[in-house]
Amino acid sequence: MTTTTAARADVCAVAVAEAFRGDGEILANPIGTIPMVGGRLARATFEPDLQMTDGEAALIANDEAFEWPGGKVVELWNPYRSMFDIVWGGKRHVMMGATQVDQYGNQNIAAIGEYAKPKTQLLGYRGAPGNTVNNTTSYWVPSHSPQVLCAKVDTVTGVGYDRAAQLKGRTAEFHEIRRVITNLAVLDFETPDHRMRIRSVHPGVTTAEVQEATGFELVIPADVPTSRLPDDEELRLLYEVIDPKGLRLKEVPEA
Amino acid sequence: MAVLTSLAEAITANVGDGDMVALEGFTHLIPFAAGHEIVRQGRQDLTLVRMTPDVLYDQLIGMGVAARLVFSWGGNPGVGSLHRFRDAVEHGWPRPLQLEEHSHAGMANRYVAGASGLPFAVLRGYVGTDLVDHTANVAPLACPFTGERLTAVAALRPDVTVIHAQQADRAGNVQLWGICGVQKEAVLAARRAVVTVEEVVEELQPRPGAIVLPGWVLSAVAEVPGGAQPSYAQDYSTRDNAFYEAWDVISRDRDTFLGWMRTHVLDLVPSTT
Repeated sequence: MTTTTAARADVCAVAVAEAFRGDGEILANPIGTIPMVGGRLARATFEPDLQMTDGEAALIANDEAFEWPGGKVVELWNPYRSMFDIVWGGKRHVMMGATQVDQYGNQNIAAIGEYAKPKTQLLGYRGAPGNTVNNTTSYWVPSHSPQVLCAKVDTVTGVGYDRAAQLKGRTAEFHEIRRVITNLAVLDFETPDHRMRIRSVHPGVTTAEVQEATGFELVIPADVPTSRLPDDEELRLLYEVIDPKGLRLKEVPEA
Repeated sequence: MAVLTSLAEAITANVGDGDMVALEGFTHLIPFAAGHEIVRQGRQDLTLVRMTPDVLYDQLIGMGVAARLVFSWGGNPGVGSLHRFRDAVEHGWPRPLQLEEHSHAGMANRYVAGASGLPFAVLRGYVGTDLVDHTANVAPLACPFTGERLTAVAALRPDVTVIHAQQADRAGNVQLWGICGVQKEAVLAARRAVVTVEEVVEELQPRPGAIVLPGWVLSAVAEVPGGAQPSYAQDYSTRDNAFYEAWDVISRDRDTFLGWMRTHVLDLVPSTT
């Protein structure tokens, strides 16, 4: 494995794993190819207590993300009708997609254009309205562009910081948009007014390029680090165990 | 009291034009055969309800049986968009489709309220989102004890709920197992309920995690082996994953879609058992 160098997709997977650092024994619910790889990577290394699904109806202990040649190691039968038992307890961190996301983390996955007569009808609100007010949420954007990271989302499905500030009680207590991870950079909301900032740029990407690909003004600290590279053990896990067929390399090709 | 009857008679007796119809089932046990019978009988102006509309609803919408859709997620699972659903919403083909959108939790709670005989359910979700403005059946509510701002969702009371299950006995009691969704709540919330089953057996055997629906909450039970295909019925059949991928191609073009429906649905004579 010493000859393997990290691909951009590997850097993204490590960034996903880092988003789950410190979460402990909760339901880690990464949705999408690289999120599923990154979540498994976190559990196989520094967050061993994360609970993860097989994408169907069970929580499983396997390190493999997509295929389980030796069979699934089932920890809990958790079909659709039991899901809310966990979701509403707040012990969950979901990472989901965003067709649009704005500078305060408001997300749209329902429709592009006017809601009453959309230009593009997407999959729908789904679980977003419950996610953002019941547990920690992060977003995964495989193709960073001003159309996705945009000034104003067409309809709000997941609640951002400006709207959450008007809410009170438990809702405000549970609201956290932890990260937005893209093929170019890692972004977060750790600023005084919770505007999105660049947390790190992936190797070979400049902050100017990230700003250029974003439809609003980002907070750019004076010193922006480079996103962490996988270490040798993480590379071994990625290439030999978690995603040996390299599905992640198709989701984010080399720049 | 459930009557054991044929699929055609069950639909004729229980699904009328303009009805609110919920066809439920999640991942497996999706009542395709019953949905196809609704198309064959030419029902119109239905309000279709389903937590997760997938290929079956794409077919129903594309055939123009629905005026409205109440839902929280609409897609071809693991494949992508529903092209007939999108064509109806974006271009009004073959007729405009009015949408009423909710979150998953909102839909589940609306069924629970309906099944409980309550006018609404309460949840924390929705606050801060735009759904409250878009949807008449979602309204803000203050907690009477703490004043916290919550959301009320109106109860769902379908005219008829249709599900598929593994087994019924001769008295019309039904048992389903495997990955279950909201079938129980959707049946109990409805005025009438139609169940298709893989098999009628002499006696239902207790199974861990199974749901039993007594015959007295059902209207009609029809034996339709394979009635969930191309989805599946755990312990009876497997999911036809290739079909879900093929549907992406079939459904992209209006004429290809209509040709497929003619051959595979309209021209088929339903089972009369």
